[in-house]
Amino acid sequence: MITLGTQGKNTFLDDVNIKSGANVLECYQCGKCVGTCPVSQYMDFPPREIMQMIKLGLRNECYMANSHWFCLTCSACSGRCPREIDIPAVMEAVRHLAINENYVNDSKKVKEIRKFHDIFLDMIKRYGRNYELRMMAEFNIRTRNLFKDMHLAPKALLKGKIPLGVKPLKSAKAIKRMFAIAEKLEKNK
Amino acid sequence: MARVGVFVCFCGANIADYVDVPQVVEEVKRIKEVKFATEYKYMCSDPGQGMIRDAIIQYKLTSIVVAACSPRMHEKTFRKALSDAGMNPYLLEVANIREHSSWVHQKDKKAATNKAMDLCRMAVAKSIANEQLHEISVPVTKRALVIGGGIAGIQAALDIADARIPVVLVERSPSIGGKMAQLDETFPTLDCAQCILTPKMVDVASHPYIELIPYSEVIELQGFVGNYKVKIKKKASYVNFKTCTGCGACWQKCPVKVANEYNMGIDKRKAIYTPFPQAVPNKPVIDAEHCTMLLKGKCGICAKVCDKGSIDYTMQDEIIEREIGAVVVATGYDMWDPTPYEEYGVGRFKDIITSLEFERMVSANGPTNGVPVRPSDGKVPKNVVFIKCVGSRDEAKGIEYCSKICCMYTTKHTILLHHKVHDSHAYVFYMDIRAAGKGYEEFVKKAQVDTGTTYLRGRVSKIYKKGDKLMVRGEDAQIGQVVEVEADLVVLATAVSAPKDNPNLARLLGISYDKYGYLSEAHPKLRPVETAKAGIFLAGCTQAPKDIPETVSQASACAAKVCGLFAGDTMKKDPMVSSINNEYCSGCQNCLNACPYGAIVTEDVAIGHGSKDLRTVAKINEGVCQGCGSCVAICRSTAITLAGFTDSQIINEIVSI
Repeated sequence: MITLGTQGKNTFLDDVNIKSGANVLECYQCGKCVGTCPVSQYMDFPPREIMQMIKLGLRNECYMANSHWFCLTCSACSGRCPREIDIPAVMEAVRHLAINENYVNDSKKVKEIRKFHDIFLDMIKRYGRNYELRMMAEFNIRTRNLFKDMHLAPKALLKGKIPLGVKPLKSAKAIKRMFAIAEKLEKNK
Repeated sequence: MARVGVFVCFCGANIADYVDVPQVVEEVKRIKEVKFATEYKYMCSDPGQGMIRDAIIQYKLTSIVVAACSPRMHEKTFRKALSDAGMNPYLLEVANIREHSSWVHQKDKKAATNKAMDLCRMAVAKSIANEQLHEISVPVTKRALVIGGGIAGIQAALDIADARIPVVLVERSPSIGGKMAQLDETFPTLDCAQCILTPKMVDVASHPYIELIPYSEVIELQGFVGNYKVKIKKKASYVNFKTCTGCGACWQKCPVKVANEYNMGIDKRKAIYTPFPQAVPNKPVIDAEHCTMLLKGKCGICAKVCDKGSIDYTMQDEIIEREIGAVVVATGYDMWDPTPYEEYGVGRFKDIITSLEFERMVSANGPTNGVPVRPSDGKVPKNVVFIKCVGSRDEAKGIEYCSKICCMYTTKHTILLHHKVHDSHAYVFYMDIRAAGKGYEEFVKKAQVDTGTTYLRGRVSKIYKKGDKLMVRGEDAQIGQVVEVEADLVVLATAVSAPKDNPNLARLLGISYDKYGYLSEAHPKLRPVETAKAGIFLAGCTQAPKDIPETVSQASACAAKVCGLFAGDTMKKDPMVSSINNEYCSGCQNCLNACPYGAIVTEDVAIGHGSKDLRTVAKINEGVCQGCGSCVAICRSTAITLAGFTDSQIINEIVSI
């Protein structure tokens, strides 16, 4: 059971609104996002319910959901939202808030998704772009599932879908600096 | 010998798809009286009517049969075509082969065709016996009666009076204004109800064509459209309105305190009172149920302080009679009593109030000077829960229908709450948000987005007390979980119900009412302001729950109807009315009971044969008779004839099949 009206002001709503730039109050619960979302059936709470939970200030329940981790930020929902709410931005905001406050769903799936995010960012930091082969290898190693999707590798390699090497971007150094600045800002906060 | 012309309509595909129209034409041509028969795609169109006009002249026709849609649809159209060709319009017969044949027998074309042929044969047979009839003229008294002085009655009275037609406005309470005078601000524009209503109230009082009779009730209505006589009981006010200046000395000194109806009992008024400071007329009345002087013969303070000597404890109820031509009924609505909701703790918990009580609290001229407070401790509430559909859409405890206005007034209340108490939070438990109206959906968005009202989809299942707070439990269907809201104040959006006295009033006026007590309109779509009784019209919530814009529109529509009725010195009426053959009438008076319109009275006529002795016979008032034929059927001595539906016409019809 959820008890409302005891916490005073709904700070969670304000946090999400400020971080996402969207206004969750605009949501009138039509559910078009849920029907549009390609992964809503895998989520604990589909996007519409997440929006309502934010409105009700259910901070912990929202953090512990896997919905914002499953969100692909494909923006199909916001493209069709009749109130034009940037739902992926809201999901992103919840992800950030959840990490910052150390409230993260620790299911296997979410852990894997988080590792994928980390490795992807690491690739960008190193090369300024994605190095697919290394990314796949690292993901398989770090998730301790070495042979995951391995049967697809020969065909993909032969077709040139996965280049063997990577050519770092000319601006890779600038991107590294960006990361450094971002990390510094994060520390000083 | 009769010369009948038959015109069969295709009605586009409506008839032609299911009835073999050419076959029907061939069939009717065999009847010897039929001198001309034809078919056309749209008989009601100008070329179609032209065919009728031409045939009348060319074939010297003496009666016309049109086989087409329901006579309710186009009888008038075709009658006019007959008139245009110089023929008496009542020589027309309509065979309804659309609603009565093609539409209901779509699966069997042969049967539909046969039935259409039968209907045409019947119409031809009847038309042979048709007689020339002429419109009836009824004199009109050009004065309207408006019952009820709320916004509906005020608007109707002003609109009629502006057309220079005298109006008698009867209001039961001491002041006009009705429920709208109790409102603070109105949705969706949030303009102040008093600011838009009170000028209209003043206009009513000062209008040269309006006679305002407050503190009165209609007790009798006799007569018929254009010629009604009304009796109005003017309750004793014990104050001479002619000399009273409304100075207020009397109610300031009056020692008796009574719960104030205008403020929903939140504060007290005196036994001599005006309902509210902006009342019209702004003259006090004495509440005879509570006045010590009237009850026990002691006190008399108001008479002592009144320097005009306006107080008269001996005043009696007075009966006023007026002759009027039309009636507008605008008796408004009652707020539904939420007592059956025991699970909400209605009556047990002080901090549960109805929406009209909340409205009075947030009103600038209300008992709390516009600030909502908890009735239990007088504190300003922070968390307020609004519960919608209390009584509405609840077959078990309340009423089946949707009260229509609660969604919007609750939205307004959440916004008003936020205006009055900035750090408050409103929660609304709802089943649906019905915001169909100009600017309504936008208004709801304003509450949800700008005010931050939390809408929880579900009916509240119970309310219990925890400390000095109320815990409101219900489901939020949007996340599929049970929620509890800790509330300082709970506001019930109680349903709109029909005035308790409506059934009595309906009986008194001779009009019908529905199972809820709302007065019935003549047709829900096409005659929404008229009643089944000619000359009586409905405005506002007395017909069904509605908001202010709709009420005002309906009131103005009533005014247009009244003005239309009074446009000439006499009224024209269809001649299909009953008449009595005094020679045959035995005076049994069965027809008096059979008549649903009260159109039949008795009269004494000479027996005849030179005798001066009298006997009683029935007499039909043509003005009231609607031509239903009930009296014809019940008359044992066949003394009653209904023009246009004579015995020979009906027998012809039956014999023809």
